[in-house]
Amino acid sequence: MQITMTVNGVSHTRDVEARLLLIHFLRDELRLTGSHWGCDTSNCGACVVWLDETPVKSCTVLAAMADGRRVRTVEDLARGGRLDPVQQGFAECHGLQCGFCTPGMMMTARWLLDHHPDPSVAEIREALSGQLCRCTGYENIVRSVRWASEHEAAQPAGGDGGTGRQAGER
Amino acid sequence: MDLETITEYRPAPGAAWQPGDAWLGGGTWLFSEPQPGLRRLLDLRGFGWAPLTESRGGLEIAATCTIAELARWRPGGPAAVAWATVPLLRQCCDALLASFKVQNMATVGGNICLALPAGAMTSLAAALDGVTTLWSPGGGVREVPVIGFVTGPGTTVLRPGELLRSVTLPDASLRGRTAFRQASLSRLGRSAALVIGRTDGPGLVITVTAATPRPVQFRFAARPSPDEATAALDRAGLDRAGLDGAGLDGAGLDGGHLTWHDDVHGAPAWRAAMTRRFVAEVAAELRE
Repeated sequence: MQITMTVNGVSHTRDVEARLLLIHFLRDELRLTGSHWGCDTSNCGACVVWLDETPVKSCTVLAAMADGRRVRTVEDLARGGRLDPVQQGFAECHGLQCGFCTPGMMMTARWLLDHHPDPSVAEIREALSGQLCRCTGYENIVRSVRWASEHEAAQPAGGDGGTGRQAGER
Repeated sequence: MDLETITEYRPAPGAAWQPGDAWLGGGTWLFSEPQPGLRRLLDLRGFGWAPLTESRGGLEIAATCTIAELARWRPGGPAAVAWATVPLLRQCCDALLASFKVQNMATVGGNICLALPAGAMTSLAAALDGVTTLWSPGGGVREVPVIGFVTGPGTTVLRPGELLRSVTLPDASLRGRTAFRQASLSRLGRSAALVIGRTDGPGLVITVTAATPRPVQFRFAARPSPDEATAALDRAGLDRAGLDGAGLDGAGLDGGHLTWHDDVHGAPAWRAAMTRRFVAEVAAELRE
C-alpha cells in the first residue's frame, strides 16, 4: 500500500507492507536511525516521536496510521548547526550516558518544555514516565531537562532560545 | 511489535468482518503483544466519529476517543455547571498504567474491550451507569450496560465481529457527586483496587473495579454510613442470599459471591483490605 507522510518537514511517499510499524518506516525506509527500537512492547519509550505535535511510541503505531500526518524525530531538534537546548542540556549534564533511551527522552522533553517552560522535577519525572533508561541514570536526565528549561528562560525576549529557529518555526 | 501475520490494513467502513480481523483503534495494546491469529486490521478512524458528543441525554464517548482527548475534555453550555462528575474523567484517565505518550493513541473503547480488571475506562463508565452501543456484523445494534459488558479478566459480552461504537454516560449520572480512591504498588502503577462512589439522588452507588475480576456495584437507596457500606461488602463476601437479604443490588458478583483478583499487581487479601477501606472512605465523604 502507498502512504505519504511529512517527516521533519519533508514529504515522503513509499509503498509499504500493511504490517510495517512507524519506527521501522523511519529507520529502515527513511534511514532516520536516531529513533531507537528497544523493547518492541511499548514499555521503554526509546522510539518516541511526535505524531501531529504529540509524542507517541512509534513501535505501537503502524506506518499506515501515519499516512497523511506529520512526524517529527530527534533528527529535527538541531537547527542551523546549533543544538536544541534539550540536546545541549543532555551534553552539559551527562544525560546521554549510553545513549539508547536518549532520542525518546529528548522528544518528550522538548514537548514538555514547549507546553510547560518551567517544569518542576516532579513534573519532569512524570512526563518521562513510561520511558526507561537502562543505565538507570534518571537523575542526570532530569537535570538535563532542568538545564534546558533554565537556559531557554534566560534567553532575551524575542530571541530564539538558543534553538536557531525563527518565530513561528516549530 | 511487528505483527508478522498481518497482510492487510484498511479502513473499517465498508469492510465485511471475517475471522482473523481485528478492529484497530489506537493499537497501543494490539501492537504490544504477539497476535498470531490476526490477518487484517480494520481501522476504526475511518468512521470519523466525533470523540465526545454532549446532548440532553448525557455524554456519548466514541470508542475511538483517545484517553488524552477524554482527559482534556470540558463540557460547554448548561452541562458545564450541572455535570459535577467531570473531574472524575481525568482521575480515571490518570489511573491507567499509561504515560501521556500512550494516552495520545490509546482509546476509551480499546481500554474497555481489553477488559482488564484495572481498566480505568471501565471503572469510569461502570461507575456512571454507562451504556455501550454495539454494532453487529449484520447491521444490528444493541445496548449493554457497562457493568455487565466486562464478564471477567479479558472477557466481554462481545460476539464475533461485534464492534463497540460508543459508551453513553447518562445525564443523571453526570450530575452526581463522586469520590474516588485508587491503590497501586507504585504511584503510576496498575490499579490493584479502585473504588468510585457516586451520589444518586438520596442514594449512593459504589463501584469496585481492579480488585475484582469484573466490575462490582452496590446500590444503596439511602446514603450509608461507612459501617453500613463495608457491611455490604462483607455480606457480598458471604453469599448472594445475604446480599439480597440486605436489599442490596450486587451487580457483577460472580456466582453470587464477591471474589478478588489475583495477579502480580496485588495479592487478593491486600486488594480486599484496601477495597474495604476505600468503600468506607467514599461512603463517609459522600455522606454529607
